[in-house]
Amino acid sequence: MILSFFDQFMSPTHLGIPLIALALSLPWVLIPTPTNRWLNNRLLTLQGWFINRFTQQLMLPINLGGHKWAVLLTALMLLLITLNLLGLLPYTFTPTTQLSLNMGLAVPLWLATVIIGMRNQPTAALGHLLPEGTPVPLIPVLIIIETISLFIRPLALGVRLTANLTAGHLLIQLIATAAFMLLPMMHAVAILTSTVLFLLTLLKVAVAMIQAYVFVLLLSLYLQENV
Amino acid sequence: MNGIATARASRSVHTSQQSLAPVPALPEKGGKVRYGLIPEEIFQFLYPKTGVTGPYVLGTGLLTYLLSKEIYVINHETFAAASIGIVIVYGIKKFGPSVAAFADKLNDEKVSKVREVKELAVSNLQQAIEDEKKEQWRAEGRQNLFDAKRNNVAMLLEINYRERLHMVTNEVKKRLDYQIALQNLQRRMEQEHLVSWVEKSVVKSITPQQEKESIAKCITDLKMLAKIEQARPTV
Repeated sequence: MILSFFDQFMSPTHLGIPLIALALSLPWVLIPTPTNRWLNNRLLTLQGWFINRFTQQLMLPINLGGHKWAVLLTALMLLLITLNLLGLLPYTFTPTTQLSLNMGLAVPLWLATVIIGMRNQPTAALGHLLPEGTPVPLIPVLIIIETISLFIRPLALGVRLTANLTAGHLLIQLIATAAFMLLPMMHAVAILTSTVLFLLTLLKVAVAMIQAYVFVLLLSLYLQENV
Repeated sequence: MNGIATARASRSVHTSQQSLAPVPALPEKGGKVRYGLIPEEIFQFLYPKTGVTGPYVLGTGLLTYLLSKEIYVINHETFAAASIGIVIVYGIKKFGPSVAAFADKLNDEKVSKVREVKELAVSNLQQAIEDEKKEQWRAEGRQNLFDAKRNNVAMLLEINYRERLHMVTNEVKKRLDYQIALQNLQRRMEQEHLVSWVEKSVVKSITPQQEKESIAKCITDLKMLAKIEQARPTV
């Protein structure tokens, strides 16, 4: 059996049990639950502080109706960050490299924002399809374009996350393989190792990916529900 | 039937301590680890039998076994593992203390906020205690105050009484002086009246004959005096 580079992205099953469920439950296991103590240890204090700050920053531009989404969005953010960061360890599987998972996260959430917007303020929601100040002859074309962009949002959300993570992992594998192969020949290894390191730092952008993910989701949310 | 009922009734309940209070304290620091991975307890466990180098020899042997038997295969993932290991270790070494200090600062701020409230309450109460003591001391001294005030008032009354006494005396004296002056005036006027009456009667009783006689006598007296004066030897 020849191991290709894409085998790391195969959803692992063992004896017919999909192990992706196990991989998905890892963040839940690793992130400690807040206790009912008033003063906690450092990890819990930091976690509490981070969640507070993040939710506060997230909910800043949204007015009151959108605050129901705070828990969902923060939990989503925590899940994605943990999954992505855990995937950086060797021999691990990142569930977020599966397009199915990302689309499963993106489409329902996006659809929820659209439906809420259409239900509560249909005029305003439909009005978002036409930017202000467009010259009259362009209106039909622009409406079509805006509709297409609206419907492409979930696709973009899901595929963006998948593509970024998959690309990062693949690159690491490739460069590590190259370094490993060149090790007997010694000379280029040093350069490659440093490139791997740099790329790993780049892959910390996975963290920023979450930022981008939730941010974009948030953008849709507050654009439609509110102003 | 009865046996079953008693058997069910004899099931033991509430054998453990139901209450969770007081909640046991959390350990302040985590368990001690060496090289970030291996707990200190393993070293302590192996120390009596193998001394200080025991765990290290165990680790080296284990690693060699895994590598030589290819239980752990070195492939490209090892490189990736090494890279991410370096990044993680570097990150923890560099940012660990500052992050820990930040977490401690958050906790300390929480504690200090509440402690401030407590300190304020304690200092307020202490101030109240001191004020109360001062009030008690003042209450003791109040007797002296009352005595002094009472003396003051008595003195004022006395002064007032004496003033009025003087005033009365003066008024009475004035009245009596008036009466005396009146009597004196009366006597004087009577005297003057009497004297003037006597003079008038004397003048009236001087007859012209007497008048001539007295004038002649005066002339003879004067002549006699002139003679004496002339007869005096000039010195």
